[in-house]
Amino acid sequence: MSELTLQDAKSIIENQIETLKKRNKEPDWMTKLRYKAMNAFFEAPHNDPIITDPLDYIAKAEEEMYPEVKNLDELPPEMLALLDRLGIADVEKKYIAGLAVQSDTSIVLNDFLKEWRKKGLIMESMEDAIRNHDMMKELFMKQFHPEESKLAAYHTAVWNGGVFLHVDAGLKVPMPLHLFFLIQNSAMAQAPHIIIDAREGSEIHLIEGCTSPVLVRHSLHLDMSEVYVGKNARVKLSVLQNWPEYVHTRPMTRAIVEQGGEFINTTVGLGTGKSNIANPKYIVKDGGYVELNGIILGQKDYYVDLGGEMLLEGTGARGMNASKSVIMDNSTVITRGLIHAKAPKTKGHISCDALILNHDAKMETYPGLASEVDDAELSHEAAIGKIREEELFYLMSHGLKEEEATQLIVKGFVNPLLKDIPLEFVVEIRKIIEMAVSGGM
Amino acid sequence: MNQLLKLENLRVSVGTDKEILKGLDLEVHPGEFHVIMGPNGSGKTTLGLTIMGHPNYKIIGGKILFEGREINKLAPDERARLGIFMAFQAPEAIEGVKIIDYLRLLLEKVKGVDRLKSHDMVIEKAKEVWFTEKELARDINLGFSGGERKRFEILQALLLDPKLVILDEPDSGVDVDSLSLISIKLHELQKQGKTILLITHYGRILQHVDPSQVQVHIIKDGKIVMHGREELVREIENKGFKKVFEECGCNE
Repeated sequence: MSELTLQDAKSIIENQIETLKKRNKEPDWMTKLRYKAMNAFFEAPHNDPIITDPLDYIAKAEEEMYPEVKNLDELPPEMLALLDRLGIADVEKKYIAGLAVQSDTSIVLNDFLKEWRKKGLIMESMEDAIRNHDMMKELFMKQFHPEESKLAAYHTAVWNGGVFLHVDAGLKVPMPLHLFFLIQNSAMAQAPHIIIDAREGSEIHLIEGCTSPVLVRHSLHLDMSEVYVGKNARVKLSVLQNWPEYVHTRPMTRAIVEQGGEFINTTVGLGTGKSNIANPKYIVKDGGYVELNGIILGQKDYYVDLGGEMLLEGTGARGMNASKSVIMDNSTVITRGLIHAKAPKTKGHISCDALILNHDAKMETYPGLASEVDDAELSHEAAIGKIREEELFYLMSHGLKEEEATQLIVKGFVNPLLKDIPLEFVVEIRKIIEMAVSGGM
Repeated sequence: MNQLLKLENLRVSVGTDKEILKGLDLEVHPGEFHVIMGPNGSGKTTLGLTIMGHPNYKIIGGKILFEGREINKLAPDERARLGIFMAFQAPEAIEGVKIIDYLRLLLEKVKGVDRLKSHDMVIEKAKEVWFTEKELARDINLGFSGGERKRFEILQALLLDPKLVILDEPDSGVDVDSLSLISIKLHELQKQGKTILLITHYGRILQHVDPSQVQVHIIKDGKIVMHGREELVREIENKGFKKVFEECGCNE
């Protein structure tokens, strides 16, 4: 901890809670939860190699929430400019389904969702959802506890923004919904809370995009996602990160996958920020399936540590953890997966592949498999190395420059994990990878 | 007439000091059809890869001249852009890279073809070597049969329209139908006036080629030891290298 006295630290958090409470007009149970988390903060363990004191980052609540917008053109111009960084503004003009944008701590939602509301789809800012739905008491902070870490406690105390996504039983939403996070202030703590509640037999795909302009001081993106995948429901959560080096990100994701449910969680970390440490955890029941796909572009002096724990608790549950990292400059990328087979006939596979583009880049991988039963099938594979000279020569001998050939190989390397990302985004992702490879060469 | 390709006393080593080509001379004029034959390990593939600029093959002596210009130090892509093409014996598989994307990129970057036209050009040429539009969505060489790999190499030659086409055993591991098609395509390239350097073990690949145009060179232990015409190919097929070398006194 820093040189702050306990009283100083308390008042820093209290001020944030009081501001958020007033702004959000939130019910008492939520404010109580925030204060409970504040108390837990001082006792909770803290184990982060980079962020020594979470209180260096403050959740400055906007005085007022942004008004609801009907389409992208109504967004403030500074936000539109930022979305361009992700190529999202162009993409969105072509097809726009559900869209929510969180700028710092306020959230902007479009009203395309009103149509779907009648059919049983709720997508609301978390602040609205807390006021509007009693079921939030049953869902909010049920997969995490503030006591488990200082970051979890701090998030719970000062959470701001995020969305609540609820899909009625049997409702299949055919187009992806979009949520974008923008950080515009320095030394921010952006702590959105996301809940996906997909009921039995439903289907939903949420795409999150994250970015920020150049900031004077580092900010912290401290999001928490709690996902409930109902019986036989199918949920996809695709996260596209393009944070600049001024942002530290500590996403916390957990999911419970009920019987026969399926959860595909893809993270594309194009700009992972100065540091990104995540250890999502998934509980999978009978016949359920969970997939964690990670594409990581390690650049500059970025530090990325991507975990992923899968607890296969039900008979026949399956888990797949696949990552592909492209590492350059002085960056460090660590991947660690853990698949824990706790029930009969479960299957799990971890694969970690990395392309290292230059000498100073570092890669570590720690696959973990554990089984408590005798008929689980668990396996892992890992391949870390340079681009194969023979591949490069093959492409160059047909006329591609070294840079063009490298870009093509790198794009091909990550391609298999982009299968669930809509094509429009894939095009942008490829462009960003091309630029990074050129910059790295 | 000026040579298109000239190798002067070319000496090449691979790895630390293993010398494979030990002073090889060859002159190839525009429009000619040259066949290179030789026992395994004699340096045939090394010859092709050295002309193409493979980084593992170090030129320790001599020169490669293309259109009168020394290209010893040029990168492979620069050689390709001068008009040298090589169809590989065992082409690389590249996972995740779709054929159609790769070929369009080649056309756009190497040939300067307009992005709007490259798609149709690829589809059209691909048909000539039996690739359907659907197959072009596969990854480069991944899971290809022998015939598919070799036909894919020919497809790239057709699209890039090079001056010199080097083919390293386009007939090895190939089904009969693909072999016939490749031979027909070789004949077409020959008729278009392309210069061809064909590395092979067998005469069958020449079935559709005009035999009067064929010049044959035999490599042994890193040097060219015999020159001849199309009859030499048949002689070797009938007698084998061992006997032919004995008869010519090439073993001394």
